[in-house]
Amino acid sequence: MAVLELQNITKRFGAATAVDNVSFEVERGEVVALLGPSGCGKTTTLRMIAGFEWPDEGRIFIGGADMEVRQPYDRNVGLVFQDYALFPHMSVAQNIAFGMKNRGVPRAEISRRIDEVLEQVQLPGIAGRRPSQLSGGQQQRVALARALVTRPDIMLLDEPLSNLDAKLRLQLRREIRNILSTFDCTSIIVTHDQEEAMGLADRIVLMNRGRIEQVDTPHALYQSPKTLFAADFIGHANWIGGTLSRRGGGAGVVETALGSVAVAPGGIADGAVTLCIRPERLALVDGEAGADTRLDAVVERHDPIGADLRIWSRLKDGTLVQSLEKNVGRDLPAPGSAVTLGFRAADCIVLPGARP
Amino acid sequence: MSGLSISKRLADALFEAAYLSLITLFIAFSVIPVIVAVVLSFDARSFIGPFPPKQFSLRWYESFLADSYYRDGLVTSLILATVATLIATIAGTLAAIALSRATFRGRAALQAALLSPLVVPNVVLGFGMLIFASRLGIIDGMTRLIMGHVLITFPYVMRTTAASLVGIKASYYEAALSLGAKPWKALAQVTLPLARTGILAGAVFGFVTSFDDVGVSLFLTDAYTFTLPVAILAQMRANLDLTIAALSVVFIVATVLLIVLLDRLAGLDAIVGRGVYGR
Repeated sequence: MAVLELQNITKRFGAATAVDNVSFEVERGEVVALLGPSGCGKTTTLRMIAGFEWPDEGRIFIGGADMEVRQPYDRNVGLVFQDYALFPHMSVAQNIAFGMKNRGVPRAEISRRIDEVLEQVQLPGIAGRRPSQLSGGQQQRVALARALVTRPDIMLLDEPLSNLDAKLRLQLRREIRNILSTFDCTSIIVTHDQEEAMGLADRIVLMNRGRIEQVDTPHALYQSPKTLFAADFIGHANWIGGTLSRRGGGAGVVETALGSVAVAPGGIADGAVTLCIRPERLALVDGEAGADTRLDAVVERHDPIGADLRIWSRLKDGTLVQSLEKNVGRDLPAPGSAVTLGFRAADCIVLPGARP
Repeated sequence: MSGLSISKRLADALFEAAYLSLITLFIAFSVIPVIVAVVLSFDARSFIGPFPPKQFSLRWYESFLADSYYRDGLVTSLILATVATLIATIAGTLAAIALSRATFRGRAALQAALLSPLVVPNVVLGFGMLIFASRLGIIDGMTRLIMGHVLITFPYVMRTTAASLVGIKASYYEAALSLGAKPWKALAQVTLPLARTGILAGAVFGFVTSFDDVGVSLFLTDAYTFTLPVAILAQMRANLDLTIAALSVVFIVATVLLIVLLDRLAGLDAIVGRGVYGR
């Protein structure tokens, strides 16, 4: 059963439409990321689920109940703010007890649950401290504990890792994942960081300009994006513009400035398309094998990025493309040398429309 | 080259001298009257003679305590300042909270209107309040005084509370709501405790303003209810003696006590500047 259901939600601020006809569902125990650039409407969507904003159109259901007239304090939602919003004038224990007191949990039960939840977020023995005496990572986990301890129907996390430094972020991402699965908690994570979304979520709702671009698993979103925006937002890509036409049967051909490229177009209509080839699917080829399409190019430079080498090459029409080679000690073509790059038809994603 | 640097050094020295004498002058102007008043309050002479006095006594303090006119004024002033500050603190805090979240058109105008008693001369306020009260049929002196003093203390509380509310992130209130607190509870348990230094500072300023006021009170007192400053003013006209100096000392001591008390309760630095986050 869906714990959360959004039906055709629209929210306007004056003349601007912040959220435009958004619908999705979240199943019990699922972690869903609302991903998108700033201003895409993801935070507004989160605030509508929490009850701080009211949709102009559409309905929100939590646990099957219509939220149309439910105030934030009457929704059983756990919220973790970007700035954590731990009450500075209360101890950690008082912070955690706050929600339980409001929901009428008996006193003995409250102190038992405080100890339990601090154990679960691996911060035992800090109940008496003030939030200002904790590190950023500890505050983050206390904020999680404070929201989780009331056993909400759904957890909402707003940019949970954006206030932490890069290394801590990676470590806390794992911990958040563990904590959420310990509680088997249905969760929504709002983020602009694709890696965070990929690392934390079972499914990603990708938003752009108030609309949903695509809802998919992290893998599927990377592997088969449905729109130019999705392909561009997640991961790196090489772009080739062209015109798709089908000859006779199902097989498609895209005519480009570099020649014709064999593709598997799926359901995309004939006309202007853009080809997206991920850097790791674009390879240096020397023999005959492997590639359905070959492109002549001249190497411009190498970027060593640890395990991989990013090779930038210039195609005949002047387009700069990147390809990834495993850093296995092999000699690579020096800058200035002519090479052949190739890719398989299956590795070429066909997207409707031309890139601006 | 060296001539230039000498003249520059001279200019610097002159500037520094001017700067220091200005500060000294400023301090002298604010401190000397206080010292003179304190010393004169212990003067043993029965008239206001040349400074400094040759002999000292507590006669003016005795005269203050013996004079029921001053005593009544002091009691009235204390009751008035307390009641007015209490009402103004509640109203000013609520107004500041309401204004801090208001989004309607004319919000700035409303705020300016509520703060206007700070810039309108007290004499004008007092006269206006007198006419207003008589139109309403309120002739009781204390009631009129409380009305007038709420008007002049309210802006202090509202302004300092508004200033401290600006520093409180909206997410605290929203976090409280999402944790099941109804709005009034979120305010009482989260927003107000975080704004407490601003509220307290406003209340102290308000209390001192009320205690000190002459302009508004002058119009609103009646024959039986008058404040201490009004009593002093009346006595000054009738028979000027050094009881007033003794009274000033009582005023000063009361203010110092209030500040010390405040420092103990909330920490003065918290009120004057740093707020809750600095600690």
